[in-house]
Amino acid sequence: MKRYAFLLALPLLVGLTACHARRTAQKPDPLRNAYGTEVDWNNSDHLIPLDYEQSQGKRLFYIYCVWCHADSTPAGPSNRYNLTPTPHLMNDGAVLNSMSDQYLDNIITLGGSAMGKSAMMPPYGNTLTQAEIRHIIAYTRAIAEPPYHKPNRPLPQYKAR
Amino acid sequence: MPAEQMGQVPKRLRVIYAVSTVIFVAVLAISPIRDHFAVWKRYQKRYVEFVGTRANSRALKADFQGGINQIWLPKLNVTDRCTTCHLGISEASLLDGSVPQPFRAHPPIPHHIEAWGCVVCHRGQGLATTVREAHETTLAWEKPLLPIRYIQASCGGCHQNSLQQTPRLDRGRELLVKYNCEGCHRIPGIVRPAMLGPDLSNIGAEVSRAWIYKWLKEGRTVLDSSGDVVVDGYEMHPRMPRFRFKKGEVRDLSAFLSSLNSPLAESSKIDPAVVAAWPNRAALLSYGQLRFRQMFCTDCHALAVVRLGQTELIGGDMGPELTKVGSKVNPDWLVSWLRNPQAYLPHALMPRYNWSDKDLYAVTQYMLNTFTDPKLLGDVPKLGPTTASEVKQGRKLFVAKGCRSCHVMQGIPPQKDFGPDLSKEGAKTVSELFFANAKIPHTLTAYLRAKITNPLSVDPKGRMPQYHFGSADLNAITTALLSLTGTPTNPGFALLTVPARRAKFDPAGEFGRIYHRFKCFDCHRIDGYGGTLAPDLSFEGSRAQRAWLVSFLHNPQTLRPTLTVRMPQFNFTDQQANAIANYVDMVLQNPSINRAAVNPESFAPEMASFGKELYFVKYECQSCHTIGAKGGYVGPSLTNVGNWMNAAWIEAWLKDPQALIPGTIEPHRDFTQPQIQALTAYLLTLKQKSSGGVAPLPGDAK
Repeated sequence: MKRYAFLLALPLLVGLTACHARRTAQKPDPLRNAYGTEVDWNNSDHLIPLDYEQSQGKRLFYIYCVWCHADSTPAGPSNRYNLTPTPHLMNDGAVLNSMSDQYLDNIITLGGSAMGKSAMMPPYGNTLTQAEIRHIIAYTRAIAEPPYHKPNRPLPQYKAR
Repeated sequence: MPAEQMGQVPKRLRVIYAVSTVIFVAVLAISPIRDHFAVWKRYQKRYVEFVGTRANSRALKADFQGGINQIWLPKLNVTDRCTTCHLGISEASLLDGSVPQPFRAHPPIPHHIEAWGCVVCHRGQGLATTVREAHETTLAWEKPLLPIRYIQASCGGCHQNSLQQTPRLDRGRELLVKYNCEGCHRIPGIVRPAMLGPDLSNIGAEVSRAWIYKWLKEGRTVLDSSGDVVVDGYEMHPRMPRFRFKKGEVRDLSAFLSSLNSPLAESSKIDPAVVAAWPNRAALLSYGQLRFRQMFCTDCHALAVVRLGQTELIGGDMGPELTKVGSKVNPDWLVSWLRNPQAYLPHALMPRYNWSDKDLYAVTQYMLNTFTDPKLLGDVPKLGPTTASEVKQGRKLFVAKGCRSCHVMQGIPPQKDFGPDLSKEGAKTVSELFFANAKIPHTLTAYLRAKITNPLSVDPKGRMPQYHFGSADLNAITTALLSLTGTPTNPGFALLTVPARRAKFDPAGEFGRIYHRFKCFDCHRIDGYGGTLAPDLSFEGSRAQRAWLVSFLHNPQTLRPTLTVRMPQFNFTDQQANAIANYVDMVLQNPSINRAAVNPESFAPEMASFGKELYFVKYECQSCHTIGAKGGYVGPSLTNVGNWMNAAWIEAWLKDPQALIPGTIEPHRDFTQPQIQALTAYLLTLKQKSSGGVAPLPGDAK
């Protein structure tokens, strides 16, 4: 009988060591499998992991949007304070989180005046592809502060709120 | 044997037979049992359960196919069974980040998954059907999955040209060039330029032995209290890496280098009348400062400033930083250098300016007296007179350390392939790598990172010097190295390689001489060749009016309100300015623009006033462009656009800006033809009165 007990104990031991190994395995670094990263605009020590689409959006943002939708630009002072009404910061979650993806898509594609907003926001529908506009929206959602959560019910397409 | 016992098997044999049968059946059963409990079956069961919770579960279930799934591409020799577990990979509705892996859809990329498979980009073992064998390094398979942060390396395997979607790969390739990796390593796709580091054949005429000693010991002349210099938020290190010198070696090398001191090819004499003409020193230095600023030396050279207690470098990095140049160079050398840089370094990027003796004297005096630090060489020990044995030893060291790989030295032949060939570095298997005692995971990516961060960690006897890269640059350079997978062995892939386009724009004639003398290509790009600091001039003749070009060349004004760099004043002669304008006007034309087709005279005054309304009210162009002092900072100033641009260019630009300059950020709008004409008519009325600084030149009266 003792012999059988030993045989039974063996797989248990093996199983225990396996569990142990798994428990001591390191917690995965969230940036390890990130396609790209962006520095949190409000906290330069914090890096936000970006997936493929968000990284493409980041690239496009720094080409087309940064001039008016950020406080500092690669070329120096921002154009934001030259404009009335002042454009929203791209990470302003308090405002942008309540706008639906479709609404943002519309305002980028058709421009501000088509959506009853300032004509200072030009239409980019001929300049950017549909996919590129979607990428920019994905990037906006990734850097939003407060963070963006996908709403349970769809938000309106043609109104800001 | 008795007859009745014949055919009977002894009992012992029966037992052996029974036991061996059981063992045999058990052994045979192992494989089907393992197959029954295969991991992929569990994933498929979980997928079906998960799909049931989705809104479009019926469509997803209809797409589901049980069993081993595979993508087979015989031409690429690809058999990928990844889709056995990654079941939702091409289901657009499973793209959401909340979908658990391995069921999430692949983000839409320019390549279709069915046509390319998975391992072509992600590496790993496509045939495997267990998690570990497919993704990780195993004894049988040495190419693990490429971590996502380096995935752009796979784009670079085929696309040797630059792609806008792969900024990390592009940055890595830039770094390989910037840090002169091709000095020692063979790297395909990088053409070795005529000069990597400066030619040191006459270095003793430029700097003192003490300065060389200081530079070799600690290659940074600018430091703040924490011992760092920050540029754009990143720690700055000089382009030359740090070498591990033993005691006395720096002394020998500095002796050898400073012994290379022959007379300068270009005169360093300043007319004594010019020197005597200055009433006092203060006036001389303040004029020198004015000219230094007007010449916009900081477009290419950096200067250190202290901001909020942190030392920062402001300015370009095309040339060396100048913060302490007054304590570095020999005053005679500086005069000779500025007069004709190519007489000292034949391949220098520095333009040869048209200096007057007055300007040259004032600017060199300003630099030598202002950009100084008396303590710079304070920590250099007394070196004493140079001895012949030191020089001999230094020369040996120069060869042994591989200095000749980057620096030209007369009398020492070039060292070819001083470091290993990197043309297949990204395709190396783990067994080809040597890890020494480094405590790092045994993978290619970990090896490359360790080698770049600290070469000695994986190769204690290596000759590679020490570089300093931040974590973003380390990722970029690793990505670029991983993209070097060598010539594809599979002919299917060889056909797919997209080569980099390299065509040198090299004009001849009078313009060609000016182009090379003033190094226009340092900053301007023409037909895809040249720098990106300044506007692309490929179609400048279609855009700019000739008279404007000539006046701009004489007195360059910034066209963009926020730009801190500006074209230097080259002091062009009238003949030079006209030669440039002639060439631009004649050759640098866009074939789709016919300047004669749009006649500005035909615009009625009502059109201009309609255009003004469109500009300010309907389209609010002032949000990006300034006219006078008012407007936005995004586009160029339009204050003088009526004198600057051709009517045909403005019309074509308003129709489709990206057709003229691909990638320009000016949005392409749906203007109607009358709107385009009205806006053009209005813009042509915007003319700044001549400042009177430059007299009109003969030949550009129209």
